[in-house]
Amino acid sequence: MERAYSPARIIVMLGIILVLIMVDHLNSPTFAFNSGQGNVETALSQRDETACAPCGAPCPSTRD
Amino acid sequence: MTDSAILQRGLQQPGWQMDRFIVATALAGFALLGGLIWLETAPFMVALFVIGTVLGIALYHGAFGFTAGWRNLVVKKRGAGMRAQLMLFGLSSLIMVPMLYSGQAGLVGAVAPVGTSLVVGSFIFGLGMQLGGGCGSGTLFTVGAGNIRMVVTLVFFIAGTVLGSIHLPWWLDQPGFDPVPLVNTFGVSGAIIVQLLGLGLIARWVNRVERKAHGNLERDELLWKGQGHGVFKTLLSGRWPFTWAILILAAGNALTLAISGAPWSITFAFNVWGAKALEMMGVNMSQFEFWTWEYPAMALKDSVLTNAPSVMNFGLLLGAMLAAGLANRFNEASRNRPEGRQFLASVVGGLLLGYGARLGFGCNIGALFSGIASASLHAWIWFACAFAGSLLGIRLRPWFRLPN
Repeated sequence: MERAYSPARIIVMLGIILVLIMVDHLNSPTFAFNSGQGNVETALSQRDETACAPCGAPCPSTRD
Repeated sequence: MTDSAILQRGLQQPGWQMDRFIVATALAGFALLGGLIWLETAPFMVALFVIGTVLGIALYHGAFGFTAGWRNLVVKKRGAGMRAQLMLFGLSSLIMVPMLYSGQAGLVGAVAPVGTSLVVGSFIFGLGMQLGGGCGSGTLFTVGAGNIRMVVTLVFFIAGTVLGSIHLPWWLDQPGFDPVPLVNTFGVSGAIIVQLLGLGLIARWVNRVERKAHGNLERDELLWKGQGHGVFKTLLSGRWPFTWAILILAAGNALTLAISGAPWSITFAFNVWGAKALEMMGVNMSQFEFWTWEYPAMALKDSVLTNAPSVMNFGLLLGAMLAAGLANRFNEASRNRPEGRQFLASVVGGLLLGYGARLGFGCNIGALFSGIASASLHAWIWFACAFAGSLLGIRLRPWFRLPN
């Protein structure tokens, strides 16, 4: 059966996504910390238990 | 028959062709990204990545689409998909509500405020589901399986979430009140019972709709065996019975809660990706209130590899890609190229999905599935409003040349 896609296009697309992830990561505090740089604040467990919603929104009762 | 005999019989089934290129590419992507997460973050993040991958396989092989399930009930008057969703919510409620309220520190449920933002957002999201062709998980797993129309939906979904994040503070200033955990009113057992009763009432209504139209019920949601294949072949190449997908999805969400401290969510990652893209283009996102709140600010500042929803979404995409390759159906849905109005539906639907998800505190996974599994009132309101929006979306589909 004839393929419904171009393999080269798939590789290019996934490559672009990987590059974007790498660029983002290489510029992050976590990468700086892993590279031995001190005085950086990483957020490996990114959560705010005081938030009022999963997206971090505050409670309506606390808004002015 | 022994398990090994069943597996052997499955392996000997004739006519199974996998797409080796796609399977190899998905596995290479999994190894590469998994290795990076392992090296740069922590073992628990690798576990979440693996869970995301398994969830992607389950969604694809189980054809577990919320959007199609709702549409089948409305248009074809068939309720198996809807009943499967209700079974999933019930099972997760039984597992996760006791987990959340067991007194164990560090576990936070998917609870959210109730008000204008929730009602408007979930209605818009439901409308977007039917135009865009999927919900949060549906969009991701179909993109993973190579559906080009859904790539367009995803891009505009991301754009919509960013726009929604900019407007959310204004919406939160409209009438509304703080989250209402049902456990506070009914206790743990009471909340579970109340929720199971609610799900049972909806199931009864679904059954009545189906019986009235067809005189009988198709009980596909109760099947345990694949159709005409051995267990092993069905496991690898699909299609899974709903029951398998339900068990995997329920276990996946419970494990996500246990490992990350919060239930499974999808669309917050889209927010982060969109905001990061804008920052790369020079936009200062911290000028917007949403991005000054602690959690979004943390997620925007640090690597996507340290953001649990992002890591799980990457896994989900690769899992769906792997499953589509094993089924030899990668990009199959794109053989018939969508024409103008169908692309327009993806653009409009994607924007509505994104904007609605941010206002409504999540998608079918983060707000509905995880919300009910956390016994939060907002999830039930989300369900009703999104279904109402979906009804409107179904009526609009023909204009966009989308089949019902």
